[in-house]
Amino acid sequence: MSLWSEIVQYTISGITSGSIFAIIGICWSFVYLIAKVMNFATGEFVMLGGMITWSLSLKGFGLLQSAVIAILSTTVIAAIVERTVIRPIKHGTELTYIIATIACASVIKGIALLMWGSETRLVKPFFKSEPFQVLGATLNPQVLCVIGYLVIVTGSLALLLNYTLFGKGLRTCALNQINAELIGVDTKKMRLFCFMLAGGLASATGIVTAPITFTGYEVGLLTGLKGLIAAIVGNWTMIGTVSVAMGLGLVEAFSAGFISSGLKDLFTLLIVIIFLVLRTLTFLPGRRWIK
Amino acid sequence: MRPRKGNLSFLVLIAAIAMLPVLTSNSYVISIMCFVAIYGTLALGMGVLLEHAGIFSLAHPTWFGLGAYFAGIVAIRGIAPAWAGILIGAVCVGLIAYLIGAPLLRLKGYYLTCASFAVLLIFEITFAQFSSITGGHEGLMGIPRLTIGTIVFRKDIHYYYLSWGLCLACFCFLYNLMNSRIGRAIESLHDSEVASSCMGINVARFRLLTFILTAVMASLAGSVFCFYIRFTMPTIYGFALLLEVLTMIVIGGGKKLYGPLVGAFIMIWLRELLHGLMRRILPVMTSEVDAIFFGIAVIVILIFAPHGLSGSLAAFVNKYRRSA
Repeated sequence: MSLWSEIVQYTISGITSGSIFAIIGICWSFVYLIAKVMNFATGEFVMLGGMITWSLSLKGFGLLQSAVIAILSTTVIAAIVERTVIRPIKHGTELTYIIATIACASVIKGIALLMWGSETRLVKPFFKSEPFQVLGATLNPQVLCVIGYLVIVTGSLALLLNYTLFGKGLRTCALNQINAELIGVDTKKMRLFCFMLAGGLASATGIVTAPITFTGYEVGLLTGLKGLIAAIVGNWTMIGTVSVAMGLGLVEAFSAGFISSGLKDLFTLLIVIIFLVLRTLTFLPGRRWIK
Repeated sequence: MRPRKGNLSFLVLIAAIAMLPVLTSNSYVISIMCFVAIYGTLALGMGVLLEHAGIFSLAHPTWFGLGAYFAGIVAIRGIAPAWAGILIGAVCVGLIAYLIGAPLLRLKGYYLTCASFAVLLIFEITFAQFSSITGGHEGLMGIPRLTIGTIVFRKDIHYYYLSWGLCLACFCFLYNLMNSRIGRAIESLHDSEVASSCMGINVARFRLLTFILTAVMASLAGSVFCFYIRFTMPTIYGFALLLEVLTMIVIGGGKKLYGPLVGAFIMIWLRELLHGLMRRILPVMTSEVDAIFFGIAVIVILIFAPHGLSGSLAAFVNKYRRSA
């Protein structure tokens, strides 16, 4: 494999994982902006999507049926999390919500371990076509599904937020809860909705990516965390999140390819720490843009 | 100003802990109580960090792990006597905590939480990847016994007194610290940093001070832990330990200084009880399966007793005293 085709190969895998982080980052920022809660269970929703689809397709359901059931059940689980854990906590600080959602995540993860065991699982690809060659690198058709999914999600969310009354209500809620209530937006319903949307989107991500990256009970934590990194560094906006996620994916793919696959997470985590610390410096020349 | 109100109950606690090995010769009870002391020390520091100083750092288990690795490496390579490894570890962890804390503590709220979580994961990966020094995924094996002078720490009972000595010393230190001028300054950071800086408190300095102090305590606990179980593994000091410590703090309640210690006692004994009960039903009891039960416990306590069991107890005693 020549250097050129290696570079193309890593770019492809970088963009693939970047799209995954982008959608998960959007899930995080939806919940954070509207409910003001860091939902550490987001990564577990990704895991649930993949695992439920795998177990249903093993029982003889078709791919479409099992995917739909997986998305619906994850959405219901997300709604249960909001109603039974987040809403009853009164006067919670930031830390209380973080601990509560981490606890939820560990409960979900533990139950998944008991139900489905600790092996990694593979979901069948959506289309039965062979991988094809692009510039000397192999391109799995499933990658196109992932990228298409990202385009569909970002496009439809942009339409929802900008051109519908409901979407404008969501944006009001993100700006100021009390004002939103004063002008007649049902903020409780909005909070429930954003949790359900995040659950559904995250589980769909899990389903789309399961044929490429495998799935297992433990995939949730790191995938979810990288989505969070993308959302934070992208300053919680959709465009920012997607572009940062792509950058993260590329850094990860190239460091895995050229340096060491064991250390790829180290580099992304270091980059986010350095970025967050640089943000706090007051004398940086480009501060206006990174803030 | 020296507090005297709690002295009697503290003495009773010391007496009870000192008498326990006399009352029971059961080595199982003694060894579990060792774990209570070690985890209690860790939770004590993190409780002060989170609930008193208001620094939402999740990197605390890292210092515990670093302490264990430093002491273990020093003991295995024979660089210095084993007891010196504990001190070397504490000094090194203090330095590392200073170097990491100085830039990191500029962050606030959620951002600090995320960055410190990243630190936790970075060290977990580092322990696993640099296998020539740390032994990789299998970890360090064959850590020699701890010897101080001519005393060899051979039995559980030795470690029992060592770990409880450390734990109570840390508690005493923190108790006096929190009732001093520095402690009141730290306490004021939790409520409002703007207000405390207006009172002439150097916010950045006190945040860093608390961070380093609790890191050193965690490192001491980690060193004792590694000599007690005599091996270390990267996965022990990562996310799983963070979950356990958070559970202890939430169950015990962080507002009272003794809360995390109560939490550690309850959680570790509950876990033993759970393992005894569930052994027939569930074949494997890993930390992930424990996390189901403790996750549910944490959620229930956050909803119904936001200040933890120690907070509820204090409220109950207050109410009883007032009505009587």
